[in-house]
Amino acid sequence: MNGTLLLGWRNIWRNRRRTLISMSAIGVGLFLVVFYSGIVGGLLGNAKNELDNAGMGHVEVFAKGYRPKRDVAATLAAFPERAALQLPADAELGTRVLARGLATSAHGSEAIQLNGVDFAAESLLSAHLRQVKQGALPVDGDGKGVLVGEELATRLNLKVGGKLRLMVQRADTEMGADLFRVRGVFHSIAPSIGQRQVYVSQAAARELLGLSAATHQAVIQLSDPVQADAVAARLKVTLGEGYEVLTWAELVPVLKRMEAFTDTVVFFLAMFVYLLVGLGVLNTMLMSVLERTREFGVLLALGTRPARIVRLVIAESFWIATLSVVVGAAAGALLTWHFSQSGFHITGGGESFQLEGATIGTLVKTRFNPWDVVRAASFVYVMALIVGIYPATRITRLQPAEALRRT
Amino acid sequence: MPTVEVQNVTRVYEEKGMPPAQALRGVSLSVEKGEFMALAGPSGSGKTTLLNIIGGIDAATSGEVRVDGQALSGLSRAALADLRRDRIGFVFQAYNLVPVLTAAENAEYVLQLKGVPAAERRARVKDVFERMGLGRFLDSRPLKMSGGQQQRVAVARAIVADPAVVLADEPTANLDQRTGAELMDLMHGLNRERGTTFIFSSHDPMVLSRAQRVVRLVDGELERAEVRGP
Ligand SMILES: Nc1ncnc2c1ncn2[C@@H]1O[C@H](COP(=O)(O)OP(=O)(O)O)[C@@H](O)[C@H]1O
Ligand SMILES: [Mg+2]
Repeated sequence: MNGTLLLGWRNIWRNRRRTLISMSAIGVGLFLVVFYSGIVGGLLGNAKNELDNAGMGHVEVFAKGYRPKRDVAATLAAFPERAALQLPADAELGTRVLARGLATSAHGSEAIQLNGVDFAAESLLSAHLRQVKQGALPVDGDGKGVLVGEELATRLNLKVGGKLRLMVQRADTEMGADLFRVRGVFHSIAPSIGQRQVYVSQAAARELLGLSAATHQAVIQLSDPVQADAVAARLKVTLGEGYEVLTWAELVPVLKRMEAFTDTVVFFLAMFVYLLVGLGVLNTMLMSVLERTREFGVLLALGTRPARIVRLVIAESFWIATLSVVVGAAAGALLTWHFSQSGFHITGGGESFQLEGATIGTLVKTRFNPWDVVRAASFVYVMALIVGIYPATRITRLQPAEALRRT
Repeated sequence: MPTVEVQNVTRVYEEKGMPPAQALRGVSLSVEKGEFMALAGPSGSGKTTLLNIIGGIDAATSGEVRVDGQALSGLSRAALADLRRDRIGFVFQAYNLVPVLTAAENAEYVLQLKGVPAAERRARVKDVFERMGLGRFLDSRPLKMSGGQQQRVAVARAIVADPAVVLADEPTANLDQRTGAELMDLMHGLNRERGTTFIFSSHDPMVLSRAQRVVRLVDGELERAEVRGP
């Protein structure tokens, strides 16, 4: 081994307890930064999940005039086939027929939001369609099947196989009503979704509304939210006038803000932790170097160049950094990875909370990003370099004879 | 060409809040190759200061020092370090071995600085240790050795790279009479066998009696009369 590294290695074990304390401080700091950025990243930085929780899209398309008053007559009449939309290959696309209405059972009535969907496409877009707790999704061609949420089922005392009457205002302003059978009951982490959202096939919804062959909303979820602006811009060109194309940043601005916020929070947390840890370790290194002033004087007298003294002290902080990084980053990465698989709950009650229209799940799966670990570890090495150089220059400023005089 | 040439060197210590201290007042001295020379003088007379300046670990306030013809004034810190590495060996009163290195590694360190390959380093150190009766201490840690043993290792470290001059500041002051005498015999033996030049300081008559030549410092000045020994 290189002589300087070897000497540095032996020197750090002269005061074992002090070295272990320094290493724990760095290790714990590193662990905190890695794990915390995993949590914050998982909680706030995962717009894909949050949109999926509520069945929202990264890009949504409406007919001009639909959104202000939810005018059921404003339909996506000539909406093109997927192939013409030039979406990324892994983008998820679904269309919905929408209407507000009333659901009535023998037990009572509740205001609902009717969704006429293609169940296969919709279950990719809405997390709760993958959480059917009783019964099943209505099958293709089932014109009388309805899927309701647990909350609505409770209020209206609905069971799978039970009857439910849906009533909406038609496009021609008449009332449309029909009798459906409950095929399944879904669970959503947001009670408001379970209470309001009701799903039937697109054909059934159109018949109820008196529409021939149209939908109201096209929903696109992307694997990478960053693509949203580009996809939306392309759609605007492809679709031309008559359509309103909106990105998730426009639909739920809070999610966008949170993503930016996440990076800032993690950055400042990391800075704060490293500053504290760095000052602590700097102080320790300074003590450890200054109490060996005479020994460095001996090395200088033997013909060691001042630059080599600096390297020797840096070698000591290099070893401390390396051991701390191995332990701290490994622990942080392991735990972050573990919770990126299983997740954990951040607040006491409930599976979600609402934030300015976004549904945020309280089951947080940490975001495991190897780059977070690499970045954090690099920080520690830079810090080690700094805390090595300063104490060393305190020595090399002295005449060797003066260093030798110190006890 | 003398191995060490000191020309009219002064050293004034200036410390904040203290009157300036004149440690050396125009010292001139010439030491030839192979000399075994003592620097005598009471405590505070400037012995340590003079040895430090000769060895390039302290700077003269005025005057010039040459080692092997090389003037020390004006050299950068790195150049001075290289000069010490190549031409000077130090032995200190307090042994000053590096505690985390074994006895052999302490001596090897100097060869390592010179870029001597590991196998050769080891062989040279082993050879020197055996000649100096240190063979069984090769792998001992300094703090497990007696003062006399540590000081022998310090001497081995000082001579292993064949310097032009070994500077020993009161090398026996921490040793008892017998161990001190043995150390002097050892250094004298090395001086004769290898022709290494030694300058050592002391105020112990036993030590001074072994020197070939004794120069005496009083209040930072050399006394005219020099004593020539055996
Ligand atoms: N670092 C220093 N600061 C101020 N005065 C010093 C310093 N080192 C030595 N001196 C003074 O210089 C003089 C010579 O000291 P020194 O060379 O150590 O003498 P010796 O080695 O002969 O005892 C003494 O008066 C001492 O007090
Ligand atoms: Mg002295």
